Amino acid sequence: MDIYLPIAEVSVNAPLLILLGAAVGFISGLFGIGGGFLMAPVLVFMGIPPTVAVASQASHVVASSTSGVVSYGAQKAVDYKMGGVMAIGGVAGAFVGVEIFRYLRLLGQADLVVAVAYLLLLGTIGALMLNESLGQIIRRRQGLPNPPRTQRRPMWLYGLPWRMRFPRSGLYISAIPPLGLGVCVGILSAIMGVGGGFILVPAMLYVLRMKASVVVGTSLLQIIITTGVTTVLQAGRNQTVDIVLSTLLLVGGVIGAQYGAKLSGRFRAEELRAVLGLLVLLVGIQMGLELFVRPDEMFQLAPGVDQPEPIAEVAVPDDEDVR
Amino acid sequence: MIPAVPPPPDPPAAVSEAPERSAATEREVRVAAALTDAEVRIDTGFSGASMIIYGAVFNPTDAPADVVVVVRGPDQPVRLIRKQRVLGVWLNSRPVLFEGAPGFYMTASTRPLSDVADFGSLRRLGVGVDHLQIDAPAEARSVTRYGVRDVVISRLGEDYLDWRRAVIRLKQTANLYSSDDDGVTFVDRGLFRAELELPTTAPTGRYHAEVWVFQEGEPVGVSNLTLRVEKVGFERAIYDFAHQRPWLYGILCVMLASATGLGASRVFKRR
Repeated sequence: MDIYLPIAEVSVNAPLLILLGAAVGFISGLFGIGGGFLMAPVLVFMGIPPTVAVASQASHVVASSTSGVVSYGAQKAVDYKMGGVMAIGGVAGAFVGVEIFRYLRLLGQADLVVAVAYLLLLGTIGALMLNESLGQIIRRRQGLPNPPRTQRRPMWLYGLPWRMRFPRSGLYISAIPPLGLGVCVGILSAIMGVGGGFILVPAMLYVLRMKASVVVGTSLLQIIITTGVTTVLQAGRNQTVDIVLSTLLLVGGVIGAQYGAKLSGRFRAEELRAVLGLLVLLVGIQMGLELFVRPDEMFQLAPGVDQPEPIAEVAVPDDEDVR
Repeated sequence: MIPAVPPPPDPPAAVSEAPERSAATEREVRVAAALTDAEVRIDTGFSGASMIIYGAVFNPTDAPADVVVVVRGPDQPVRLIRKQRVLGVWLNSRPVLFEGAPGFYMTASTRPLSDVADFGSLRRLGVGVDHLQIDAPAEARSVTRYGVRDVVISRLGEDYLDWRRAVIRLKQTANLYSSDDDGVTFVDRGLFRAELELPTTAPTGRYHAEVWVFQEGEPVGVSNLTLRVEKVGFERAIYDFAHQRPWLYGILCVMLASATGLGASRVFKRR
């Protein structure tokens, strides 16, 4: 059943889009990530212009994250205060990121920056997560106790002003680090066209050292607010949000996210982290390959002058003909 | 009881003016053509359109006539980058803006275009993808060469043709440009037809179709038609809303998304 998308101006298969939404929603609920870094490449591969794909999937992220937050909230696994503080930073970061991205596009180098960002960030984070969680799994299999946490929270977390209590996270720290983390994620998410959960979750675990049980729910809350603002910005400035496309995606997405969130309780945290680490690493490598593999077509279309400008555009190796 | 009178058949959607009949034109080759649809309506189920351009050639002379159909969509500037290898890494070049490239372009002819007419005529009429006036004006500058003033050269230098060919190649890959060497068929003496296929990615706007008749390499007659491609109904409403009230549209999108998320979690909670 094909349906014509009014903003993307292409015809696509509707059930396929719902399935794609469900699959990404499931992963999103399971790992507490937005899933944008998985969905945008698939949409582009289906022939949807990258600008529209990135902007429209943001509202899918909003929907599946809302659904996830409600589930985690019922399990008392969301720190609303921490999420709110990070979201303030995230919104500020998104505005800055949009301007950076516009400038990069003027230079024609947005693709390059996106590919490098994916390779470095996803590659590093994926490798770290995989290494750490595999270590834990192996030690558990061998019946060895976890090594004592020698690494204390860095002292500067306590030395800064504006200390706030975050009872749910078990923290009493300055508001500046979460705010700064939010700004970084906001900038990156605007440039890379993703929610930023794959950066937030490890940062909350390893830098802020929040209680592991509230990390996923809280990161989803921050993602909702940041991507919500991004969607309004995309629609308002660029007119690249396709409501038909995003509705199809989010119908599948919300259902998938529910099952994902339910299933996540059945796995050990380190096992989930190992799988997520592998996934992030693979996507990072796949994106980065574009830099080193000889392209089939030396010339590629850059988004035109009359066409709306995207906030972010995801690089995919084999999409020369749709760009 | 009055027998039901069948409704008269719909008149052709777009018909060119009938050739004038006078003594002077009695010996001239003339062409009349029409489209099966003068309007393509893009709705939710739109999956491309196909239509037929048909017409008649009045040829009182002995020389055989060739028919060439050219369909041209609204112009869409094209921005192109080229991949360059720097220190083992593939980077993008500076983007180059090409103007004058139509968003859709099709030719159909009775014979290969190069047999129908010579290079000069095709270039002058702009018939054939190789003869489109695609240009990168921002790259051009006037210089004085060998004492000649105002020589226009392109900053792209010798690669200029590669760039231009790439514009056409990319459009052909997207099925937006095509040329069919035997796309025009004569169904009967003087009656011809050609098929026009619009992909779903075809731009909206006004299209111009030209039906040329060539005789011994020279254009001897032409018939002009227009075609409108536009969004209708739901597609039109969404598109207009998104462009006229973009901020409200964006806020509604986000509200719809979070409401769906909330609704889904309510439904699942009850189970």
